[in-house]
Amino acid sequence: MTFAMFRVMALELWRDRGALVMTFLLPPLVFLIFSAVFSGATGEDIKLKLAVADEARTVDSRRLLSALVTDADLRADDVASGDEVRRLVRAGRADAGLIIRADPGLETRPVLIVSDASRAVAAPLTMARVQQAMGRVMPDVLLARTLAETAPSFGGLTPRQQANAARTLDALAKAPPTGEARTGLFAREDIAGARKGGGTIAYYAGAVTILFALFSAMQGALSLIDERRSGVADRILAGAAGMGPVINGKFVFLLGQGLLQAIAIFATAQVIYQVPVLGHLPMWLVTTLLVAACAAGLAMAIVTFCKTREQAQMLSTFVILILAAVGGSMVPRFLMPPWLQTLGWGTPHAWAIEAYQAILWRDGGIGSVYMAWIVLGGVGAAGLVLAHLAARRIR
Amino acid sequence: MTDRPILNVWRAEHQYGTRKVLRGIDLALRPGEIYALLGPNGAGKSTLVGAICGRLKLSGGEIAINGEDPFTTASARASLGLVPQEIALYGHLTVRENLETFGRLAGVKGKALREAVQRALLLTRTVDRENVPVKHLSGGYKRRVNIGAAIMHRPALLILDEPTVGVDQDAREALDTVIRNLRDTGVSVLIVTHDLEQAGGLADRVGFLREGRKIMEGAPRALIEQAFGQEMEILVHLTLEPDSAGEILMAGEGLERQGRTSVWSKLDPGGYATAGRLDTRLRRAGLEPREIRVRQPSLQNLFALVADWSRAA
Repeated sequence: MTFAMFRVMALELWRDRGALVMTFLLPPLVFLIFSAVFSGATGEDIKLKLAVADEARTVDSRRLLSALVTDADLRADDVASGDEVRRLVRAGRADAGLIIRADPGLETRPVLIVSDASRAVAAPLTMARVQQAMGRVMPDVLLARTLAETAPSFGGLTPRQQANAARTLDALAKAPPTGEARTGLFAREDIAGARKGGGTIAYYAGAVTILFALFSAMQGALSLIDERRSGVADRILAGAAGMGPVINGKFVFLLGQGLLQAIAIFATAQVIYQVPVLGHLPMWLVTTLLVAACAAGLAMAIVTFCKTREQAQMLSTFVILILAAVGGSMVPRFLMPPWLQTLGWGTPHAWAIEAYQAILWRDGGIGSVYMAWIVLGGVGAAGLVLAHLAARRIR
Repeated sequence: MTDRPILNVWRAEHQYGTRKVLRGIDLALRPGEIYALLGPNGAGKSTLVGAICGRLKLSGGEIAINGEDPFTTASARASLGLVPQEIALYGHLTVRENLETFGRLAGVKGKALREAVQRALLLTRTVDRENVPVKHLSGGYKRRVNIGAAIMHRPALLILDEPTVGVDQDAREALDTVIRNLRDTGVSVLIVTHDLEQAGGLADRVGFLREGRKIMEGAPRALIEQAFGQEMEILVHLTLEPDSAGEILMAGEGLERQGRTSVWSKLDPGGYATAGRLDTRLRRAGLEPREIRVRQPSLQNLFALVADWSRAA
């Protein structure tokens, strides 16, 4: 009897070619879009759009302007005035603005950053980019500023020291050093074999997998309401078996559907981004089955408690969006406030994402994912039991 | 036909809150019998069918299918097949696949399932459409497959809820044939319907429900003869709409308009003689009858009569 319902669900999906395409092509497509969007937003590829006005019009201000406009990590436009900079930022046509209002070598604050509160992160990023550009193209100006700020602490420079400094500054201005500064504060090391972008990709492969598993499971589970509306449930309930085999058949189908969707997503991740799925196949498979079971159980439970399709659609949309947002399927959880990060552990999404990252990015073993497995499997089992209990009320 | 009923309902009572919907209904259905349950909306038909299908517990009284309570006993429910009013099928699946599915859900498998599919295709006369997806079938074929899906497990009792909704005359006749075929195999059929014409032509017995009570039961022809004796129904179809004087004349002749149509009718023991005199008088008054017909009273007339009695009571 369970197989009969599984077969119905499979045949209905197979013959609805539109739904079939959407079920198995949309998830990898959305994964590609999400990973492109968010690896750009949280990785090293952020290219701010800056509006820069040089109101000082000195030699060094022109050097700074030129450095920013030619910086490959920025999209900086030279604009006519500070007012124009403000107008562009206010209109949202620039992420931030920069007004060089005095010579960069002077002690005052010669550079003004114009920022919009809705893009607050752009201001500190701009500061960092300007510092980088000055360090790379005009280190003499930076050194001169440092000398001007520090020399008084040492009682000032002697004439000889001043002459040496002037020679050094002149040499730096003519030939800025290439490569990393020897005296820089920071060095950097990428962990886990430094697979560029791989951590974000693995994150979003997991995030999109649980998102779509739940989304598709909800759509599949909604057929239960259609069966109540179409009289199929009346027909089945009038028989000896009741709704039990129907619930089980749908659960098994949704489990299989979730597994196939995950295969489509992670195959894309493996082929396009070299996320090492095949190297971790057994652990990945167990995690994926539990993710699919979790989504199927949750969807069945929600739908069986609703009386109409409208109720179920509203509730499922709410649940999908909230769980996805809080659980990190949309925005990485490390960017969320601490209380929201804690709240995220109440969603299967956070556990699924964590498990996939542990396996695929950190090469973790069972010890690093067993808790996620327990949570995902537990939610799936609880959902299935609740669905059976709720289905008993349907008479 | 044996006398031992397959379905027995004793003093069935039910209420939703304080509203009584069943007020002591008795019903018995013998093997191979077609019984039509008639009544207006709110008469209690759906509640009674729900109780027979084991989907609600009666407030009072008992129901037994093959001697077992369908609410508590799965084997009692296994003896019945329900044909819902809706087309309770999977549209993307073919006729055969639908039959297989509902057979499996009813616990039929293997060789028995293959045989049951073949039998259902033959009995419902859908062999020529067995590989067509249900969504591509006509309304009449869908109704037949709807019945086929309910007989896969060879139920002793088949319940049809409004089986002729939305089907044309040809499809209705085909459905009647299917139902008679089933009756001939020994299945008892309980039809819940508003279609009095179908009930009159098909049912061995009919039962009228009104406000939770069974107010009349028996063979359609016998009930009609009992209620109307020698009276015949005279139907007058006017060519033109009568003016107010014409309407007074029609009423004076004892004719009543049928709904909003241009057909007027009355019951009269005079039959054809009365019809002839009526034709002359109407023409003399300038009302041109397009057609005057005389026919035996139907369940429709009985239903109206019963409704009048009920209102008077």
